[in-house]
Amino acid sequence: MEWINPYHLQVASFVLINVILGTSIYVTLSTGQLSLGNAGFMSIGAYAAALLATKYALPIPVGVAAGALLAGAAGALVGIPSLRLSGVYLAIATLGFGEVIRAVAINWESLTGGAVGIAAIPQMGRVVLAGARDLGFSPASLGLKPNQFISLTVFLILLVAAVLTVAFFLRLGRSRVGRAYAAIRLDERAAEASGIPVTYYKVLAFSQGAMVSGLAGALYAHATSFISPADFTYHRAVEILVFAVFGGSGHILGPAFGAAFLTVVPEALRAISHYRYILYGVLVVLVVIYRPQGVIDPPLLRRMRGDRAAEAA
Amino acid sequence: MSALLALERIGKSFGGLTALSDISFSVNPGEIVGVIGPNGAGKTTLFNVITALFPPTEGSVVFDGEAIAGLPPHAVARRGIGRTFQNVRLFADMTVEENVMVGRHCRTRAGALRGVLRTRGEREEERGIRQRSRELLDLVGLPGACSGQAAGSLPYGHQRRLEIARALAADPRLLLLDEPAAGMNEAETKEVSGLIRKVRDLGMTILLIEHDMSLVMKACDRVVVFNFGRKIAEGPPSAIREDPGVIEAYLGSAEGAADA
Repeated sequence: MEWINPYHLQVASFVLINVILGTSIYVTLSTGQLSLGNAGFMSIGAYAAALLATKYALPIPVGVAAGALLAGAAGALVGIPSLRLSGVYLAIATLGFGEVIRAVAINWESLTGGAVGIAAIPQMGRVVLAGARDLGFSPASLGLKPNQFISLTVFLILLVAAVLTVAFFLRLGRSRVGRAYAAIRLDERAAEASGIPVTYYKVLAFSQGAMVSGLAGALYAHATSFISPADFTYHRAVEILVFAVFGGSGHILGPAFGAAFLTVVPEALRAISHYRYILYGVLVVLVVIYRPQGVIDPPLLRRMRGDRAAEAA
Repeated sequence: MSALLALERIGKSFGGLTALSDISFSVNPGEIVGVIGPNGAGKTTLFNVITALFPPTEGSVVFDGEAIAGLPPHAVARRGIGRTFQNVRLFADMTVEENVMVGRHCRTRAGALRGVLRTRGEREEERGIRQRSRELLDLVGLPGACSGQAAGSLPYGHQRRLEIARALAADPRLLLLDEPAAGMNEAETKEVSGLIRKVRDLGMTILLIEHDMSLVMKACDRVVVFNFGRKIAEGPPSAIREDPGVIEAYLGSAEGAADA
């Protein structure tokens, strides 16, 4: 089992967290709203999960669920007043919200640990390993070293979370609610004249996006076991946006692809050290110029499906 | 017979500009009423007031005995007022069938969770939506073959029919059609006129804005004439055609009438 490399698994785990973050911005974008508050919602989920685990010793799944729900509730609260805004104004207001959350995290030292952050958050892989050992299981019986087992467990948990998240919104997209989202994005006025309560669905999508960001944050806290306000700066907000711009926001697989690709590329290019971010920038600019809808768009997916169908025939 | 729609002294101004003033008339169940008037007479503004896209500055809109001013547009649609737009507003990237399915939204219930879990009730509801959408596409005369096509890629005349199908999907009792025959040739206009009567025979009431006089004269039971935001005449098509005020204000000279 030498091929199981904890470093590769760690990169893969960050890919999965970023796929969930990419999904979060996609959900709000699918009603035509651009939210840059997702780093803020991510930090709400991360801090809630970390505090519930470190201060109250609650089980990780409870903290993760609570973090996601709290972020979703915050999303609804922020969403209701901000939805009077649209386009750039909404983007700026939500970016401001993210910075407010970060300022709170830095200054409310008694709760959040201030700029130092929260350390020694139970790491999900270690918790699973400890539980398994209590039951008399040893990773050696699978031919794994303990650190391999830990990384593999984190990866698998995140894989399940990412797949379920993407599947949830893939199915939602093909349902009555998904059609309402698309209708609002394509023509708000025609949507409301067709009987769709536009404000309700905008708040719902905004809150769902916030909840997914919170989920990603909570999982991040339990994967890295350390969080601080520096993890949730506006750089993070912009990074999430770039997933959607690069990968494409017309289909849920766009941001997922963007997240995966843009997480792997800088890691793969570690050899060229600082220059790698130049390449990252060049790639993004090239996509914006030559493929403004992003790498993945519905016609591309239809073509790929069509080709497969043609080959099968 | 009590009116399905009663407009009581509607006024609408935008800043200092008066778009509508003192408009009162009513539409009875089962009627086809035409609204005519030169460009800028306030016809589309009236539709926007009825469907609550803008609130009226004065007066009230009474639908089926209840004042609906103050309701949001989606609630007005739910009460039973459907509409089409002067410059067709379809969901261009969605398929033809999906456009009609969106129209069914306010008559169905499945929320996000049921949609994702695909509960049995939800699947049944979706089947119902799909079936109703196919029936409506059939009714408006769109071939089944185009149901999977992007709505934006349809020829213009088909887009107008699709918009009518989407409006019908919400089971309206009153259908507002904003220039349903605009940009159509004579044969297509005839088909639209036939479709309008077919829809009425299904039990709907229709208020329509139209510039094509032959359609108005043939299809409408009653005509209301607007000019500069005011109602200048109302009556059966034959009387409107003879009304000297209408001829002067709207059609211009007798020779001008031939051009219109």
